[in-house]
Amino acid sequence: MSVMAATFVRNWRITLRAYPWTYFVGTLATGVLTIGVSMLAYRAIGGGRVGASFTAATGSADYLGYVTVGAAALTFTTRMVLWVAKAQITEYREGTLESQLLTPARRLPYLLGVTAQALSTTAVEITVLVAVATALGVRLTVADPLTLLAATVAATVAVVGMSVPLSALMLAAGEAHITQNTLFTAMALLCGFTFPTSYLPDAARWLGEALPVTWALRVLRAATLPGTDVDPWPAFAVCVVLGGAYLLLGLSILDPAERRALHRSARA
Amino acid sequence: MSHALRVVAAEALKQHRRLFGQPLVLFSMLLWPLLTLAATYYTVLPVMESAVAPQRWPVAGDPRRLLSFLAAGALAYTFFFSLVQSAWHFSFERVSGTLEALFLSPASRMALVIGNGAAALTQNAWLFGCFAVAAATAADVLHVAHPGMYAVAALALLVPAVAWGAFLNSMLIFSRDSAFLYTLLDDPLWFVAGVRLPLFALPVWVKAVGLAFPLTSSLVVLRGALLDRADLGDLAAPLGWLAALTVGLFAAASALLRLGEARAQRTGGLQVF
Repeated sequence: MSVMAATFVRNWRITLRAYPWTYFVGTLATGVLTIGVSMLAYRAIGGGRVGASFTAATGSADYLGYVTVGAAALTFTTRMVLWVAKAQITEYREGTLESQLLTPARRLPYLLGVTAQALSTTAVEITVLVAVATALGVRLTVADPLTLLAATVAATVAVVGMSVPLSALMLAAGEAHITQNTLFTAMALLCGFTFPTSYLPDAARWLGEALPVTWALRVLRAATLPGTDVDPWPAFAVCVVLGGAYLLLGLSILDPAERRALHRSARA
Repeated sequence: MSHALRVVAAEALKQHRRLFGQPLVLFSMLLWPLLTLAATYYTVLPVMESAVAPQRWPVAGDPRRLLSFLAAGALAYTFFFSLVQSAWHFSFERVSGTLEALFLSPASRMALVIGNGAAALTQNAWLFGCFAVAAATAADVLHVAHPGMYAVAALALLVPAVAWGAFLNSMLIFSRDSAFLYTLLDDPLWFVAGVRLPLFALPVWVKAVGLAFPLTSSLVVLRGALLDRADLGDLAAPLGWLAALTVGLFAAASALLRLGEARAQRTGGLQVF
């Protein structure tokens, strides 16, 4: 617990001293422009209506709400992964990974501390995004606050679960740019952020089903899409189980990945 | 002139050696654009399936035409974005301390920035090839007035892109921060240039901003020539504007380089990063 709290405080200090504005503007722009394109297409081309396939797949005709919630969720996922998965490779690049390995602190509380701090800053960023969307004229509804809370928990579990193996991968490869962007573009396609996954070809859909984020999004849809009466709890359970499995896998390969990173810097 | 050409060739070869064969090129020039293209297609699909969409925009009614419209956008965008990436790599010269050495050499500055961008573009030639093959094998997608229009489309993409690259590279003489290029010119660029939407769907002010970027007009020519059977007469206006933009960008690049070099001589800032 003390490791988690210390990491939380340290990362807040870093954030306050040197806030990564470029990342913030970049991710916010991606979210806002995705909403913008959908909105313009919806009004100028669709005439304020959507095709039957969308209504059939989602149980709702609220296309703009669907895209906005998806864009916000994508921003959440991107930002959280950037924080949590890149925590250790940043330590490595800044030369503090060795110190981290020398302390008796365990890895999981450290990563949870990073997560807690990331949650607090990401919440602010999502608020900005949703405020911009509202200013643009998107109307969002929250059918069930409890389900929304469950969706946030599910999304956090999903993101942390995916970030830990990714962190190991980045450490082992000594590279973050390609890994992270490949994950982001793949997730944007496979998880159903801005369109229902039923649009995808079968093979791509099955790949998406294996990612916990896909399931977290289903919980989020149940909380935010008016007119859907889907039971969110089975999706919640699948998300937690999948996220936990990814987390365990990640923790088990973190050790060899750290060793590999150290050997590489020792050789250099 | 022959000296400048040799500088362009040498700089292009250097950039080519640095970049090509790196996994980054394969990912950022092929895999990411393809994944993003698919995601964009599915995101706008619900709107295009609406009952009124085909009347407002004929392309919307045919998934294959919609996909080729978006693919042409993705292709041109990737072309221009590769130059943003080349400018980003140019900023590494500063970090590795070779920017100063470049400016000590008698090489023409303009030739350097053109060579730098040209290398990024030749690496994209195969991308253009992949697009052409994919479009040609998908039946009934390409509508070209006559074979000469292929050359017009390719030139309308290449020449302004080189000018754009020279302009971006010249800006980095002043700035140590290349991250702003990535941020400012990644997402907003595709938005204002009509990469994912037809221009008529954009508000007037976005269209006005978009006109300032050569990508917008390049894309009008590319789509017109390859997908809509337009000939030279139909595309005269965008081609004329593209030519003006290209000249303007080259002039701006040349002025920026001169100003930047004078400033660097005064402040000694070229090796600072």
